[in-house]
Amino acid sequence: MSAEEAKKAESFEPASLDPAAKAELDRAFEELYRTHLRDVYSYAYYKVGNQHDAEDLTEQAFLQAYRHFDRARRESNGRPLRPWLIRIAHNLASNYYRDRSRRPQTPLENAEPIPAKHGTEAIAEGREELRQVMENLQHLPDDRREALIMRFALGMDNREIARALGRTDGATKVLIHRAIKQLQEEMGVDDD
Amino acid sequence: MTDIERMLADALRPIEPPEMLSGRVEDTLGAITQAAAEELSDWAEALSESELRALRDPRNWVRPVVAVSAGSVATGALILLEMRRRGRSQAKGGLRSLTERVRP
Repeated sequence: MSAEEAKKAESFEPASLDPAAKAELDRAFEELYRTHLRDVYSYAYYKVGNQHDAEDLTEQAFLQAYRHFDRARRESNGRPLRPWLIRIAHNLASNYYRDRSRRPQTPLENAEPIPAKHGTEAIAEGREELRQVMENLQHLPDDRREALIMRFALGMDNREIARALGRTDGATKVLIHRAIKQLQEEMGVDDD
Repeated sequence: MTDIERMLADALRPIEPPEMLSGRVEDTLGAITQAAAEELSDWAEALSESELRALRDPRNWVRPVVAVSAGSVATGALILLEMRRRGRSQAKGGLRSLTERVRP
């Protein structure tokens, strides 16, 4: 892409398209939005740890995505746009803490776990186990924790996580392996 | 799946966004696109009528030319001042280093 083309793409606004192209773009964005609203919200929720800020972050992420959607679609060459959306949410979350001069208030500990087990004792036991997982996740370095949120909360594969974090596939595989290993050690859980 | 992976899958469940969030984002996007479309059409209309006429009128060219000239003069003056300031500070620095070298 030439410098002029890059500049043109950078300044692109959806409103500058002709009506038919804009309608098609809006339809495609609506589909993206409906498909990935839960992903972006889940990611935001695990990042900030409360519903109110997660909602704000999700809204901001989609507004920003909308502004650059046409360009992202052209440059993605048909690859899924979920990593791009999550990357936007990730950057916004970083700015969110910087702008408001605050750090995450142990978001993962605040995040309410949803136990899968049934029965009172099983639920209590399950909740305690989940609480421990959340607490230990908090001790991981940011990039390891993020990778685990993407893998387990969003179900992203290594390639998608790599794109969202701006790393290579290999580096991401190692990152996730180390994150799980560290968590295992901190929780004193066996390999199998 | 290992134990720890099972625990992680249990702990990090996807979270359903509140129903009102979906409507909220759609409303905001709708408002933005509407505002952008109106802005664009207002701008195009205004430009096609009064502004285009004004732009074609040579009497209106004087003001931009004066502004550009004034800007160039101001920039030139600033460059000159900066060059003088650097000249002075270099001279001072040169003297200081010379005295330091000479000092026993």
